[in-house]
Amino acid sequence: MAAIGSPRIRRTVLYIALIGTSLLMIGPFYWALSTSFKPSADVFASPPKWIPDPWTLENYRDVFTLLPFPRYFLNSVIVTGSIVGLNILFDTAAAYSFAKLRFPGRDVLFFLLLITLMVPFQVNLIPLYRIMVRLHDISPLLGVGTYSAMILPGMIQVFGIFLMRQFMRSIPDEILESARVDGASELKILWKVVMPLAAPGIATLAIFTFLGAWNDFLWPLLVTNSDETRTLPVGLALLARKNTVNWGQTMAGTAFLAGPMILVFLILQRRFIEGLTAGSLKG
Amino acid sequence: MKGRWRRYLTGYALIAPALLAAGLFLYVPIALSGFWSLTDYSGLGSPEWVGLANYVELFGDDLFVKALRNTFVFVLLGMGIGPVLGFLSALLLNSTVRFRGFFRAAYFIPVMTSLIVVATIWKILLQDDGLVNQVLGLFGLPGHAWLSDPSTALPAVVVTSIWQGFGFETVVFLAALQGIPRELYDAAKVDGASYWQQVRHITLPAMRPTIMFVYIIGIIGSFQVYDQIFVMTGGGPINSTRTLVFDLIDRFQALNLGEASAVAYVLLAILAILSYVQIFVFERER
Amino acid sequence: MKHLVRWFVVIASLALVATSCTGDDGGDGGGATSPGASPEPVTITVVDYYGEATPLSEDVIAAFEAEYPWITVKYEAGDWDSMREKFTVRVTSGDSPDVATMDMTWIPTFASKGIFADLTELSGGQLNDAPITDQYSEGAVEAMTFEDHYVTMMFDFDAYALYYRADQFDAKGIDVPTNWDELSAAAEQLAEDTDGDGENDKYMFEVYGNDCFHWCQFLFQAGGTILTDDNTAAAFDSEAGLSAMEYYRSFLDNGSGVYWGEAEGEPIRGIKDERIGMFLDGPYYMGLLKDGAPDQSGKWKVAPAPYSVEPGSYLGGTGLSIPVNAPHPEEAWLFVQYMLRPEQQLGVFTLAGAAPATEAALASPELTQPDEYFGGQAPFPIFADTMAIATHFPYVEQWDPIDTAIGTMVESVMLGESAPQEALTDGAAKVNEELAG
Repeated sequence: MAAIGSPRIRRTVLYIALIGTSLLMIGPFYWALSTSFKPSADVFASPPKWIPDPWTLENYRDVFTLLPFPRYFLNSVIVTGSIVGLNILFDTAAAYSFAKLRFPGRDVLFFLLLITLMVPFQVNLIPLYRIMVRLHDISPLLGVGTYSAMILPGMIQVFGIFLMRQFMRSIPDEILESARVDGASELKILWKVVMPLAAPGIATLAIFTFLGAWNDFLWPLLVTNSDETRTLPVGLALLARKNTVNWGQTMAGTAFLAGPMILVFLILQRRFIEGLTAGSLKG
Repeated sequence: MKGRWRRYLTGYALIAPALLAAGLFLYVPIALSGFWSLTDYSGLGSPEWVGLANYVELFGDDLFVKALRNTFVFVLLGMGIGPVLGFLSALLLNSTVRFRGFFRAAYFIPVMTSLIVVATIWKILLQDDGLVNQVLGLFGLPGHAWLSDPSTALPAVVVTSIWQGFGFETVVFLAALQGIPRELYDAAKVDGASYWQQVRHITLPAMRPTIMFVYIIGIIGSFQVYDQIFVMTGGGPINSTRTLVFDLIDRFQALNLGEASAVAYVLLAILAILSYVQIFVFERER
Repeated sequence: MKHLVRWFVVIASLALVATSCTGDDGGDGGGATSPGASPEPVTITVVDYYGEATPLSEDVIAAFEAEYPWITVKYEAGDWDSMREKFTVRVTSGDSPDVATMDMTWIPTFASKGIFADLTELSGGQLNDAPITDQYSEGAVEAMTFEDHYVTMMFDFDAYALYYRADQFDAKGIDVPTNWDELSAAAEQLAEDTDGDGENDKYMFEVYGNDCFHWCQFLFQAGGTILTDDNTAAAFDSEAGLSAMEYYRSFLDNGSGVYWGEAEGEPIRGIKDERIGMFLDGPYYMGLLKDGAPDQSGKWKVAPAPYSVEPGSYLGGTGLSIPVNAPHPEEAWLFVQYMLRPEQQLGVFTLAGAAPATEAALASPELTQPDEYFGGQAPFPIFADTMAIATHFPYVEQWDPIDTAIGTMVESVMLGESAPQEALTDGAAKVNEELAG
């Protein structure tokens, strides 16, 4: 590193670069957040008002009176929570099998799964929707208009299996062998040995799954028809009416949507990074 | 012998839920739309077999060809710049830095936010009297109607997408960097290698799998770009931001399920070929 | 692990379901019950994109249910942006609603794909016990008709008139324009350069980016049409088309107009900061003005759109349609009729600030009351008159791509990417290609 110059100058440049880029990343969010506290007349004020003046809680109040946001929030938590739970269970199980067990056709099956990553979701829309309509005909508790319509198609993720498989491969076979020698069944090994060892990987999986499910818009929009099951992003879209958008309200809703996401990341951050570092991405 | 079969059975049992779910929610729909792509189908009534006519139609259609071109430009620009920026900022963060956790979180926050939200924020920022032009004005630079100009609209969408995604690349690269054994660098320093020589001969080779991962995931995602376009430009001006998925949805909304499915299969073919080439090249070099 | 076993069972049964539901058209019949004969309890689904200020309010729906006690209405709110995609998915998957609000610009594609129930058959030509033709203007009846049958009943209408800053007109001594030349002159007189940089920055005429509506209005006013009478070829690459294109572009050339695209955001912003002093738009914009620029109350007025050869406007709005595979078309038709009674039609105006479509509602005194916001003017009759001369977009299967082609063509001229004649030739070629394919 000596080539770049004296250590002090180097450090200064380093910090300027880091602080500059973080401002660039956080700035727009700060602006969005501050917009949610501005009266609508000030949104495009020039020069920009960095600190809302006057500030108001009106946008938040409006959002909560216009739409049942607590209900949307609850729905989002139920749907996202179920999807994350199911993925942790099924993706990990499948990944373990693909990474550590031997059986005929293993690699072919894995490859067949991987291919689906390349299919844009829009291709599946109509067939998937038809499946949900049929499910609803079978039982009113399933299919269109119920939580299951959002949860079932998200219960496994090929990307999650891929990620966990990479991770499992870094767990030494000897540990598993010694457990087998002790007479443990594969399920028990998975539950008692592999899962704890894979905790950082699972954190990574959880974050990715949470991210996708929490922010998902198009599919929940299609399969929800009432406030009973609408999730936050879908509810947020209802705020926007034809030809007119109230940015203050939109940003208040957005803060409500993005807040939990960021909180989850901050809590799981350390594990998440560990998961990435500990070999999940090594070929 | 019996033990082996038991093992096999466990193996199959553990992947069974995944395979069943994939079968129902992925393969059935994929096969169905593959069939539709060879038919004239409005979604009502029954599909009528037309062979490859939809594909022929697409490649003779200016709008589709433009969408194809725009998508390639989007992927090339986005994948050309995003991961490089991510790599550089990961290098910065990997040197002994205070508050690394803070910077890392700052870069990652946009990744956590839905694309629709990010695109909405950037659409406002990029408006003629939005923050971007106001900041440019502070430096005495002229503003620009970024999203109304066919030559800047697509780049503006690319910038938004890079902004949203590069935190992911940074964090993934940073994780990989921290996994490279220190001793390798120490040995290189003894040999008198410069910083950039170290990057070239130690860091890059060690990170090859990670780079591969980032590019495969990134390319698959970029080819399917839609949300940003939907929010920021609606495919305009003059179709300059019309992309493949946008084109697909347009045809679908016109109840042209045959053509819409054909667009999807063209996309699928492109991605399959690219991924195959990437993996092939990667395996050979290793 | 018990959970695991249970899930296997669930998934296995799902797989069985999947095999049974591929391929077929999904119409699960649901046979309509004749309302007169057997008032069996029925639930109809109504989807609506109006938003919070909808005329299909809870009270109205409750009143409907009180009148038809065997019908329960399941009301589903949507937003305009995603309504079309969602509606498309539902109808093609055998999950049709019974009634849907439809943007009239979606009708050509949907109608030609056979997505709507035949309302002529369902209604016998009668709406609330009177002939349909007596209750709508001729243009509206034509817009509701596809291949000799009704596919929708117009609920609100959209046709463009001129909104202008009357206070500035007065201050600058400008007369309200009635023809193109006067409009040009008025625009030039109205626009102001307040910061002295040699370019106008206030009170300009709004030139829209990519849309067919505004340019087509000029096309009609110049005596042109979009397609030939039999809808088999483009007709806009004509003298009328060229003069419309050159005229629209002239506002940008002489600096009296301001281009409004994605970068400029919503037009209401330009109205608030006074960059826009004149624009052409529909009656729904009255509501937007009042909501978005309450401080400009008393400053705006509305006039019939100036024209060159003959008055003209596109005709759009919202229709109430019943999908062809709706489970309960008879009850749906009862609901449609109910919503088109004068009381409910008036709600389009009083609740949503838009323009009702039936003649009876248009004639009601509420709509001709002087409006404070428009300086004591009663703007409604102007729109109602415009409706009478407005033309709907051609009902051809390829309307969506044609609409895109025309929008792109206009946009490329307004952005200076191509010359008017060149753009018209290209645009007409694309449209002809669509119509031929």
